[in-house]
Amino acid sequence: MEALSAPTILANAVPALDVSDIQATVLRPRPSPYKGEYFIVRIDDAAQGREMLRRLIPHVAPADDWWVPTLPGWLAVAFTFQGLKALGVPQTSLDSFPQEFREGMAARASILNDVGNNAPGNWEYPFGTSDMHVAIAVYAKDEPSLETVLELARQSHQDLPGTSVVYRLKFSELPGGRNPFGFKDGLHNPHVEGSGEHIHPGYGPAIKPGEFVMGYPDELGETATSPEPEVLRRNGTFLAFRKFHTRVAAFRRYLREQASSPEEEELIAAKMVGRWRSGAPLVLAPQRDDANLGGDLGRNNAFNYEEDMKGLKCPFSAHIRRVNPRDALKNEIVAINLHHFLRRGTNYGPPLPEGALEDDGEERGGVFLLIGAHLKQQFEFVQSQWVTNGDFINHGTEQDPIIGNSQGDGTFTIPKLPVRRRLHGLPQFVEVRGGEYCFMPGLRALKWLAEMPAEAE
Amino acid sequence: MATTTAAPRETKGTGTKASPSGMKDQGLTSGQAHEFAVILPLKPGGGQRMRDRLKESVTAGTKSLDKMATLHDLRFVLFDNDTRVLFASTYDGSFEQYIKDFATLVPDLIDNEFQECEGYPGVRSPEIWEYIALYQNEAIVFYSAYPDVTVRQVLKGQRVLKAFEQLLDEASS
Repeated sequence: MEALSAPTILANAVPALDVSDIQATVLRPRPSPYKGEYFIVRIDDAAQGREMLRRLIPHVAPADDWWVPTLPGWLAVAFTFQGLKALGVPQTSLDSFPQEFREGMAARASILNDVGNNAPGNWEYPFGTSDMHVAIAVYAKDEPSLETVLELARQSHQDLPGTSVVYRLKFSELPGGRNPFGFKDGLHNPHVEGSGEHIHPGYGPAIKPGEFVMGYPDELGETATSPEPEVLRRNGTFLAFRKFHTRVAAFRRYLREQASSPEEEELIAAKMVGRWRSGAPLVLAPQRDDANLGGDLGRNNAFNYEEDMKGLKCPFSAHIRRVNPRDALKNEIVAINLHHFLRRGTNYGPPLPEGALEDDGEERGGVFLLIGAHLKQQFEFVQSQWVTNGDFINHGTEQDPIIGNSQGDGTFTIPKLPVRRRLHGLPQFVEVRGGEYCFMPGLRALKWLAEMPAEAE
Repeated sequence: MATTTAAPRETKGTGTKASPSGMKDQGLTSGQAHEFAVILPLKPGGGQRMRDRLKESVTAGTKSLDKMATLHDLRFVLFDNDTRVLFASTYDGSFEQYIKDFATLVPDLIDNEFQECEGYPGVRSPEIWEYIALYQNEAIVFYSAYPDVTVRQVLKGQRVLKAFEQLLDEASS
């Protein structure tokens, strides 16, 4: 009982993933640079909804030909619980989906700390309502390619009055591949065993594919037995869709107030993130940014926290140390491999001009698809325990300095000798504009959904 | 100010699916502190075996419980002539979120404590949540003197106080 090592893994031979049936978005990073658009469809007529799906399927990218260069762009498609209902999925199948998915993200607000400005009542339409049915992401390498794919998507539904587009959001890469705060992000994802992806040093141990895709053993040696039927769940997964608005001017102003020099501003910002703007991790570059390190995929993840167990380089409370603790919690009873998910992030809106300290009123931020087979143990756990709580690192109620929601009254603790520094009055830097839980089926399952017999109505 | 709050949700037996969050649906809360109590039937002779076993394993068990750092206290009370046992504890809100971690990393500790209970399926069994829901009894009153303070905060407070007292001693000597 003293063994606090990784969970016992059953010695089953793990089948290689059926990458030709898994949607590309689950396993492959988006290209760079990228242009794209999210759109959300409401289905008022199940038969027409299924017809739309039939037309879309040929353009949905499987994970095995993500990089086919002749493709102008590709689609990813996912369904909310309301969406599956609207398509006419049988009740017995609907009932077999996990509780959090059936309830939807808005109903989980108290667990996710989506309160105050982030409360579902303040979300953009159609988030948090029963009108969000099908979420489609279109990715392309440039504007003309995007238009080509969008036209295909339009043709899938424009003559179907029983389907309507209720939301559209364009996204594209910001200069230098930075996020709106000016940091290179999206640098780390867990290593999915059998996915065939290229693994860079520091991605961590291979995680059993059942944590991310249904139909394979997970870290407990279990293979999903629901939702039913098997054809629907196989090679499918769940995702948390989160749209964030970033308050870049507030971030810059706060740094200015807390620091006495531009160098100190950069240091405080890096302490909050856990990386410098270039992506160089604090653990490897504790004093100043190192652009070569930040841009080097062979090195920018090649670290853990063993050498920094006092947090003197990277604070315990830093964003990247919270959401991906690596080995930082190895002395606790935490089964770290149960709490991973894949992050697929995109940015929207224009960058705030360099040096601007006043908000220009533009909407800018990121949309994240947080993907995993166990929403509750993965996204909900990380959000409720590691992002919006500090007890696990002995910081009481302190939250993530970047994506936490302390409603304008946050603290941020920076371990330091001889005494730690604690910043007070942290404003909210990231606001949730909306979100929902979606089911992202495999390609055969999409066909099953499209061809469900009419009696299902 | 300590408060006692009645759980707003329905109590057991109403058909809500048992799950780790089933614990949250029952049991009273005071601030972030939760109470949890189950009254379980024991196997024939199980009461005595439980006494012996828990007495022996107390040191090893305590070490793991310390590491969980979310349990304020727990107790096993045998009654009805050793045919039933009451297990009662106070835990921090986040305990529920970590149940799967505990079941994964210290299953033997938990199974060792409960294996004399009639019908106990083992903590790794998917039936464990149904089993708990069947026997969980919500308290009628729950008081905590420090409802917003977690186990970790108590322990940290103790360390800080000790260091502070030491500082005062040194300053005055």
